[in-house]
Formats: sequence, structure tokens, C-alpha cells
Amino acid sequence: MTDIPALATLEQPVIALEGIGKVFPGVIANADVDFDLRAGEIHALLGENGAGKSTLMNILTGIYRPDSGRILLDGVAQAFNSPVEAIAAGIGMVHQHFKLVRAFTVAENVHLGWKETPRLASAQVLEARTRELSERYGLAVRAEARIDELSAGEQQRVEILRVLARQARVLILDEPTAVLTPSEARTLFKALRAFKAAGNSVIFISHKLDEVLEISDRVTVLRGGRKVITEPTANCTTTKLAQLMVGREMVLGGLREAMTPRDEPGRVVISLENVSAADDRGRAGLIEASLPVRAGEILGIAGVAGNGQRELSEILTGVRKPTSGKVLIEGVAVEDPSPALFLDIGVGHIPEDRLRSGVAPSLSVSDNAVLRAYTEPPIAQGILFKPGAADTLAREIAADAEVTLPSLRTPIRNLSGGNQQRLVARREMRIARLAIVAAYPSRGLDVGAISTLLRYLIDLRNAGVAVVLISEELSELFDVTDRIAVMFKGRVMGLFETKDADLETVGLLMGGQTKPATAPTVEAA
Amino acid sequence: MSGLQSLRLVRVSAVSGRRILAARVISFIAALAVGAVVLAACGFDPLHLGTQILKKSLGSRFGLEDLGLLLTPLILTGLAVTVMMKIGLWNIGADGQFYIGAFAATAIGLFVKGPEPAMLVLCFIAGAAGGALWILVPTLARAYGKVDEIITTLLLNFVALLLVYYVATGPWRDRTTGTVASTGRVPYEMPDFFGSLHWGFVIALIAPVLFGLLLRYTKWGYEIRLTGANPEAAHYAGIPVRRRMITIMLLSGAIAGLAGMLEVTGTVHRLQGGISNNYGYLGVMVAVLARGSPVGVIAGAALMAIILNAGIILQTQGLTTAAVLALTGLIMMFTAVADQFAHYRLVRALPVPAASAAAG
Repeated sequence: MTDIPALATLEQPVIALEGIGKVFPGVIANADVDFDLRAGEIHALLGENGAGKSTLMNILTGIYRPDSGRILLDGVAQAFNSPVEAIAAGIGMVHQHFKLVRAFTVAENVHLGWKETPRLASAQVLEARTRELSERYGLAVRAEARIDELSAGEQQRVEILRVLARQARVLILDEPTAVLTPSEARTLFKALRAFKAAGNSVIFISHKLDEVLEISDRVTVLRGGRKVITEPTANCTTTKLAQLMVGREMVLGGLREAMTPRDEPGRVVISLENVSAADDRGRAGLIEASLPVRAGEILGIAGVAGNGQRELSEILTGVRKPTSGKVLIEGVAVEDPSPALFLDIGVGHIPEDRLRSGVAPSLSVSDNAVLRAYTEPPIAQGILFKPGAADTLAREIAADAEVTLPSLRTPIRNLSGGNQQRLVARREMRIARLAIVAAYPSRGLDVGAISTLLRYLIDLRNAGVAVVLISEELSELFDVTDRIAVMFKGRVMGLFETKDADLETVGLLMGGQTKPATAPTVEAA
Repeated sequence: MSGLQSLRLVRVSAVSGRRILAARVISFIAALAVGAVVLAACGFDPLHLGTQILKKSLGSRFGLEDLGLLLTPLILTGLAVTVMMKIGLWNIGADGQFYIGAFAATAIGLFVKGPEPAMLVLCFIAGAAGGALWILVPTLARAYGKVDEIITTLLLNFVALLLVYYVATGPWRDRTTGTVASTGRVPYEMPDFFGSLHWGFVIALIAPVLFGLLLRYTKWGYEIRLTGANPEAAHYAGIPVRRRMITIMLLSGAIAGLAGMLEVTGTVHRLQGGISNNYGYLGVMVAVLARGSPVGVIAGAALMAIILNAGIILQTQGLTTAAVLALTGLIMMFTAVADQFAHYRLVRALPVPAASAAAG
């Protein structure tokens, strides 16, 4: 690309990781990983879910301690005991899930836990300092706004500004574009290039190949916790990176073939007619959505997370009540939708935020496993609840989900996110006689588990169950859906037959841009 | 990089009950040790005082009877608070509900005539209903208006206290003996079964066990546990969250009211201003000691009863009430600190490979 990387090889790397190893009970997260970061480069860290990218960076920033290997900072061995020590040494990380205080203003968040924060400072002083920082680093933020008024992209800018304000020279970004619209991503890339031009370095964690090719100077690919290769990006192509990343034939292949062809559209089992709903803060979350959900079909919901998908999935399962419009089940308008009603008719729901609404973290695995079945025999008998029968069902669900449990009495929060996800998915599949609404079911799972899960959704579809699959992975949606609806800012922007839809049109709609007039789309109502 | 820096405290999220218990035992001993040092410095003989407490509380029949009489209200108010904790709410108003339970039972006792067993049942119902009634407004405000139940339940305590003072010194004042601060004797009495210890003690022992069984072995109990652990998940599971919350709050009030009724009909036999003896507030401490376990309430109440009893004995030995209160506070503070410390583990921080740094 440029001659900067060539020059930089002569210099000492800013950060060098040598032979890093980390083992969690039953899992090798990192094994013998070498990694180096030069001054003035953007170094992409590429790999599937569970490849060990986040673990490696958590070791670098002092969240985890490595079992073996060492960290060199400017050629000197260094070990951080906490992220606070890492940031003091100029290494700052922006996590996938933002760590901001939602009830505080932008200015307060930027100054929180910072030794340069004036001891006595009015809101005006903090805001003025924030505006100054915002200009210096070219990151537009509204200093006086509260975090929970901000979009995901704005929150991310606050996180980055927080890190840069502390004079970071190394910025680590974990899946930074996952929550951004295309235009917000472009703004981010511009800021990263400016940061690099000033001689600083960026580690860019991602599993999106096109982004990596666009922004990075070098790429390191991790697979199964080990380093596969480090290459200048100029030598890479999408195909090459995909092969290196997966390292075997794509497991996701063959899904389309597993879907039995349908001759005619399935009957509409749940239907929304001009439904609007408020979000948790009382603002318009879902706006006049009309959507038919058909038996024996997988309906994909595409869109950047946070554009009304939560409200939609909760309307489709009775958890949230519409403020206007009609919800119809088998053609009959439901007077007072409730979770119990949707449970009765056999609608499963894999919610997007499991810890918040899908499980009770402090209760046992057994108690959580029977959440959908506790009212009926064998778990209930009259007014009685039978813990023994609950354990039996929990064991069955765990076996189906291929989760090995230390004990059924363990609080479910002690399981990994992936295992919680599998248990919830299996629990919901058991009750899905009519329909299942799956919100981001593949989050936190590795490719093998995703494949199993998608296959199971396909089996349900083939058996005549209506499946709603909410996802931000367009490739996943194009692989397994019969129709795709696109959501943006609470509205359903379009509904396509998957076989007639093209990536370009769907991608544009996700960013709120109207489709090109020439696009061959079929409105299927 | 010095030796001091190589150790640090790390918070662990899940702590075993055994670890908590160990921390508590250590803290209890530590609190007693600190108290002993202070007492010795003031010229008392801590060893002598300690043996006096053991002899007079646990070592004699009267001591045990007194302990049982203290335990009865403490278990019930502790249970009342624990019941609400199970659904994620705080009942700071057990004192007020206790007063109203006592008030209602006294009203029946003074103004309704009938055979004793039937009247005791009526007092029982009136006491529980009075307690439930006293928490009704906080309950509805919480369920329908999301009004903080901590504030509302607390404030109603003062209303209940003043109401009882008013009737005890005014309209219901005992005119036969001429006392100025209490009502006449309530003619119906809980039967005794061990000296002066009445059957209310047995009721108090059964109640937490019964509630624990309900939680574990009924559908309703499962719904309460789920609602308390995560209301959103409970809503998602189709549980009427608001209705469960209302039931639990009223049940909590009824249990505290029952404690008041038993105090009148079993122990004091009159309604008077100080009848609650702060049992409602002590119930909050008992519940915290029990850490949400209904059966644990019995153990928490036992510790509290021993401390209260010890306090009375220490006063007879020449200590002031202030000193006794300070000792009680010391034990409570140490216990709270121990619970926090049980969450921390000392780990060796990552050593820096200094030698290899120079080599590399």
C-alpha cells in the first residue's frame, strides 16, 4: 500500500505479544500466539466467533492474565493488572458493549475516572473541556447530551474520545462496526485514518472481510485460538482471508438444500397490521409495521440492531403491547395480547438479550429450563411444583443443546454466554408448535453451533412452523430465509422474496436509503 | 513492582454459603474481642460478664423462656421482610404493621365477648388483616404508580405508632388500675406450653418453614422466585407480575401484623406505646442476616434474640444502655463487613519477568 509499513519494520514494534497462551476450563482460548503492532499502522485481527480475538486483547489490556508468554511494550516486558494500568501506558480498548454510564452526560463520561479531571468542576467546565477534546480529535460529540439519548454510533465516538483524551497511542476496537450504519462506519474509518496519520496505531478486531480489506495495513488471522498468519493487507483477497479464517470447507454450506421447496406461500399464522409500539423509554420504537408471518417459511428481519427489532419481536410474542394497529393470529384480531396467550398457542421466543429477559440469572439451571413448562405436568401437579421433574426436563434440554453442566443447581449466570444461548434456544424450540421468533440466535456461537441452530430452524420450517429470524448477518439471512424484511428506524422498509432480493438493495435499505429505481423487487404482502 | 504490589484483592461473584458462614463466625468473634477490650479498659471483667450472659440466658429455664418470647416476634418480623425480599422489594414498615396488628387484636379483645378459643382465632385474623391493611396503600402505590415502597412503608410506621399512643393514653386507657400509658388487660390469652412461653412461639417456628416449602414446592412459589429474580423474565414467562407483587406485599404485612397480635395476646396482654420494642426494624436486620433464606430467619432471629437478652443482662451488671447498644452495633457492623469480605479473594498479581525483559 504505502511505504510506511516497510519503514516501520526497521523500528521496534510498539507492542509485541510473544507466545501468549490462555486456557479456560475445558477451552483453549489462546495457544502460542505471536502478534506485533507497529507505530502508524492499522492492524486487523480477524477470526470467527470464539477464535480467541477478544481473549488476546483482554490479556493485552490486563483484564485476563496469560498462562504463558509475555507482553513487550516498546521492547520492554510489561504486564498490566487492570485496564486502568493499560490506559495509563497509552493502550485503550473500546469494547463491543459500551462501558458508559447511561444516566450521565457525555462530558461526565469522558471525565470519569481520569486523573486530569479538575477536582472541582462545574458541568460547564467539563462540557467546555469535552468540546475542546472533541475538536482536537475530530470526533463530533454533543458534550451536554445524556448517553441514553445517543445513537450507537454517537456512543462509540464518546468511548473513543474517552480513550484518546487519555493520550492513548494504541486504540483497540472490538467489532466496532457491528452497531453502526454504513455512513457512521465511514465516519469512524475517517477518524481512524486521521489517528493513524498522527503516528498512532490501531488494532481492529473484526470478522467482516470487506472492512478489514478497506481499513487495515496488515491482517493477523486467528483460528481456534492459534495464529494462522500475519500478512500485509495488500496481499490479501476476500477469498484468501475467508479460507484462512474458516480453515475448512464452509460449514454453513448446504443449508439451502435442506430447505424443502415450497410451491405456494404458507398460510399466514401471525399478522401485523399497521402496528406501532413504544420502546422502553416511551418513544416510538415500531412505527406502523405491517408484516405477515407464514407457516412453513423462514422470514428474515434484516437491519442494524436497535432499529425496532426488539419491539417487533416482543409484539410477535405478546411481551409488548401495541399502542395502535392490530395483531392477528390465524386471521383473528387479538384483543389483549399477552405472553401467556402466545405461550398457549405455541409461539417460542429466543429474546435478543437473554440475561435481561430470557433467563433469571440468579436462579438455577433447572429453574430456568422449566420457565416455559412449569404450569403443566409433569412439572406441575395441581398447585405443586416438582423439582425432581424440573431436573429431568432440564437434563433433557441440556442434552439436546449439547451443554455439559457441572450441576443443575448452578445459577445459570455461571454458564458461558454461548451455553446460556443454546439452553434458551432449545427450551423455546420445544414449545414452538405454531411459530418461533429468534432474535440474533447465532450471537456468541461458533460456526459449528450456528450451523446446527440454523438447521434446527430449517427443520421447524419444513415441519410447517413459522420462523422469524432476526439477524444482522446478511449472509446468514440470504442463506436460510424464504423472505426478507428490512427494518430502519422502527419502520419495515420493504419485504422481498429472498430469491429475488439482492444484497445491494437490502444493504441500502438498512441504512435508510431508498432503493435504486431499477432494483427488481417484489412487494409480497 | 514492589512486593506489596504483587498482592491484590479480586472480587468474585459467586460465594458459597459455607464461606459466608465462616466469615460471619470470624467477624462475630472479632466483634466480641473488640467489645471485650473496651469493657476491660473501662474497668469491667469481660470474662465474668460473658459467663453471666451464658448462665442467665442459655443456662436457665427463665433465660430460655425469655429467649423464646423475644424470638417469636423477631422471627415473624424477619420473615415479613424476607417474604418481600423474595420478590425484590423492601418492607421497612414491619414496625407499623406490627402496631396495627396489635391494635386490631386489642380492639377485638376489649370490645368483643365470646368463648376464648373462638376469640383467639378472631384476634389472629384481625391481627393479620390489620397488618395487611397497613401495607395496602404502599402496595397499590408500588404496583400501579411505581412509588418506592421503602419510603411509604417507613413513613407509615410513625402514623401507626402515634395512633397506638393515642388510643393507649386516650380513649382505651385503663381506668381500673389508673395507669396512664396502656389499655386494660386483654382477657383472651394464647395458652402457654413451657413456663411463660406461649404457642405463638410454635407458630413463629412453623411459619418460615411453611413459606420455604411453598417457595420450593408450589407453582406459586416458583412464580414468586422467578419474579423476584428477574421481573422481565417472569413477564416473558406469562406470569402476572403485578398480581404476584400485590399478594406478596399483603402477605408480608399480614405476617408482621400477626407478630403484633401474638405480642398482645401472648406476652404483654395490653396495648401500649412501646409494644413493638423496635421488632419491625430489627426484623430488617434479621432478614439481612438470613440472606433471603426463610429458614435462615430462625437462625438470624436467634442471634438477635441472644444479643437483646445479653443486653438486658449486661444492664443488670451495671452497663449503661448506650454501651449495650454500642456492642450490638459492633456485632452488626462486623457482620456486614464480613459479608462483603467474603466476596473478595486475595490473589498474587502477575509478576513481571524482569530478567527476561533485559535479555529480550
